[in-house]
Amino acid sequence: MTSDIGARRNLVLTVLETAGIYAVAAALLVSGIFVSPEFLTAENLLSILSGVALLGIVASGMAFVTYSGNMADLSIPAIMAFSGIIAVASLSLGLIPALALGILAGLAIGAMNGLVVGKLNANPILWTLAVAFFMEGFMRFTWSNNQIYPDIEPGTPGAAFIEIFRMRAGPVPLIVLVMLVLFTLGHMVMTKTRFGRESQFVGSSRAAAKASGIRVSRVAFFNFLVAAFAASIAGIFITSMNKLGVFYLGQGYDFKAVTAVVIGGVMLSGGRGHMPGVFGGVLVIGLLTNIMTFLGVTSFRQNIVTGIVFIVVVGLQQYQLRARGKDYA
Amino acid sequence: MGAVSRTLQKPEEGNSWRMTAAESTGQALAMEAVSKRFPGTLAVDRVDLDVCAGEVHALMGENGAGKSTLMKILTGAFDDYTGVIRIGGREVALHSPSAAKECGVGMVHQELSLARSISIAENVLVGRLPTTRWGVLDRGAMYEEAQECLGYVGLSADPRKTVEEISQHEAQLVEIAKVLGGKPCILILDEPTSSLSREDAMRLFKIIRELKRKGLAIVYISHHLPEVFEIADRVTVLRDGRKVGTRSIDDTTPQMLVQMMVGQSIDEFYSRRKPKITDTVLRVERLTRYGYFHDVSFQMRRGETLGLVGLSGSGRTELARSLCGLEPVHYGGVSLLDEPLEPGDYPSAVSKGLVYLPEDRKEDGLFLRLPVGKNLVAALTGQHSGMGFYRSDRDAGVILRYFEELNIVAASPEVDAGTLSGGNQQKVLLAKWLATSPKALILDEPTRGVDVKAKRQIHEAIMSLTETGTAVLLISSDLPELVGMSDRVIVMRNGRLLGEMAKEELSEEAVLLAANGQYPCRMSGGQQTIHGQGLDRREDSQEGPVSRDQ
Repeated sequence: MTSDIGARRNLVLTVLETAGIYAVAAALLVSGIFVSPEFLTAENLLSILSGVALLGIVASGMAFVTYSGNMADLSIPAIMAFSGIIAVASLSLGLIPALALGILAGLAIGAMNGLVVGKLNANPILWTLAVAFFMEGFMRFTWSNNQIYPDIEPGTPGAAFIEIFRMRAGPVPLIVLVMLVLFTLGHMVMTKTRFGRESQFVGSSRAAAKASGIRVSRVAFFNFLVAAFAASIAGIFITSMNKLGVFYLGQGYDFKAVTAVVIGGVMLSGGRGHMPGVFGGVLVIGLLTNIMTFLGVTSFRQNIVTGIVFIVVVGLQQYQLRARGKDYA
Repeated sequence: MGAVSRTLQKPEEGNSWRMTAAESTGQALAMEAVSKRFPGTLAVDRVDLDVCAGEVHALMGENGAGKSTLMKILTGAFDDYTGVIRIGGREVALHSPSAAKECGVGMVHQELSLARSISIAENVLVGRLPTTRWGVLDRGAMYEEAQECLGYVGLSADPRKTVEEISQHEAQLVEIAKVLGGKPCILILDEPTSSLSREDAMRLFKIIRELKRKGLAIVYISHHLPEVFEIADRVTVLRDGRKVGTRSIDDTTPQMLVQMMVGQSIDEFYSRRKPKITDTVLRVERLTRYGYFHDVSFQMRRGETLGLVGLSGSGRTELARSLCGLEPVHYGGVSLLDEPLEPGDYPSAVSKGLVYLPEDRKEDGLFLRLPVGKNLVAALTGQHSGMGFYRSDRDAGVILRYFEELNIVAASPEVDAGTLSGGNQQKVLLAKWLATSPKALILDEPTRGVDVKAKRQIHEAIMSLTETGTAVLLISSDLPELVGMSDRVIVMRNGRLLGEMAKEELSEEAVLLAANGQYPCRMSGGQQTIHGQGLDRREDSQEGPVSRDQ
């Protein structure tokens, strides 16, 4: 008798969860037209996409951490900065080895996070926060608080490195393509693989997953690895964009990515959500930022708005969860 | 002067139960044609119920029969029920929990609502903690008042202790004390013994009789027939939201009650089974986890249902969890089909065919926030995957098969598992493991808190599983179930295996005595030898069978 009520509620929630974020994106698009006539040009839309691409890449990885019930990886800014610095520092070996080393450096941090959170059951937020703190100190100490610059003489690997961010396939920037590829891959992994399945089970209930014979620590390990992989790629792009590597480059991306993930419908408590939703969340943040820029809102105030959006969305999720929880009592 | 006398009077006021003339003479509670409609269903359909002061009135029915909805009405969970409710002869409107409390309705829920890390006193007096004039917590008064509440249930525990430090049984009493602290005249107990051992349940009954003598009207919800016959004066049976009837306990039999509940007669359906027991599937040798169980050896054979009996705290659940690899092992080993299992590696045990159905379906059994269908295939992620990809097209067949086989009642496989009734949740949990086609299945309380019909369906599923050659280890405190289902029973007490009982020796009394260490059950061969002097610090010497070598 309670089950059909449950079904109806479930349906409503599902529709809201999926369509909701795109409805918001559409509303923002429409309101954008009123803000500026230049808003709805192909050029501006593409620039919105490239504007959110970095965030999108980070969020596509972060989504896995949230989805699997580990809330957030706060070491992502450190991973971004570190992979960028390592890539720049090893450019003398050639472009490809440098990129590989940069990504490996980021993966190493991810692997450590995954091991500690998965095996030792550390609190993911506190552990990754500690790692971020440690890595910042480590990078400042090792490179004496300096920025490091690639050699950008034409023809050198350094010149190719700073081109990465600026490359285009026709009108579409490479970074936008990379983001779209990562989201597509992420969606496939989440829905079509054993790892994605198991991540959902672990995210829904770690205890029940363990008692179902799922290797929960391995699942956590790979989720952090995925997040670190995406962050490393974002780190290389952001380093290429700035033409320098420095410890503070990824700052703020941890929080912005969680915001995108959460407003995209991935529950902070884990086990619910999907990649198309996260992409929608990224778009909404991009549109919001773009509209505010058109309106002349300064970036500090933009941060305030993003913060408020996060608070409201998390509050709503929590409310939904409580309403659901009540049904089970 | 005024202030002093008031504080002096307070304990005296506390001692008197709120009893009106009507209550002491008879009817404490009368519900007339009470109905409650949910969208789509009439959950409670014109139910009459009367409970007298000084009576224990059992309320029975399958899950979904409307018992909990009816009790929720009484505790003020709904503001839109219809019908008349009289308490102590006075018509009342129970439209909010506070109104219900005001009218003297107190309910002890099946699941404890205690905060484990704070003191008993604070738990008992939560929401009405005494304060001093300055608004600061008055610890003296708090402990005094809590002590008094604990006195109602005959618990002598120190109210300064935290709930973590006391046993499950004592926690249950604290919960009752908490409700009694609100001075109810109607006390609702929802399956109060479901998490208690037989001994503790007996102690609880003594307290219930005491409360009854004090004039409380007690509504007692239970699935457990022997219990109802032991404690209740009258029993009301609900089915499909309607009242089937009220009987005095002296004029009824368990068969009659079950018939009223399920609407069909029970046959001796356990006797149908003719197990074909062949070679050994699971061999447990000298398994030890310090502090929990010691030197446990036994074997399970193909097609066999092996019962494991023990009081709560005997280490039976701990044994089961270590056996399959969910918890660590310090000594000894387990082998499945002569292949040793890696201790502490449950995932590999599952893939080899040894699986465990946990005791607590809400904690580590089900994914309450995931759809029923996903729950059903949760243990199949390995079997349904190839090259890392998950073949979700295979799910539908499994889901359909078990929905039919176990008769799972859910609107669709897409609804969250948490929305199902207890019986259906338990069926989903069982189906999750049946779907893996296990070689050996450990069932820990597979039918706890489940209605008669679901219980029978679960038993049928277990029986047909053993027919296909699976070995089943059944841990249960439901004695008829244990005796009826098992081909052989091993007895555990204080972390030791005392011995085993063959099918012919099984009866509820014999099993119960054995679990209490009083039945001379057969020793299981020469495997029980004492080794490692440090192992048995906790109990030795008073246990005859295990300490014989000393």
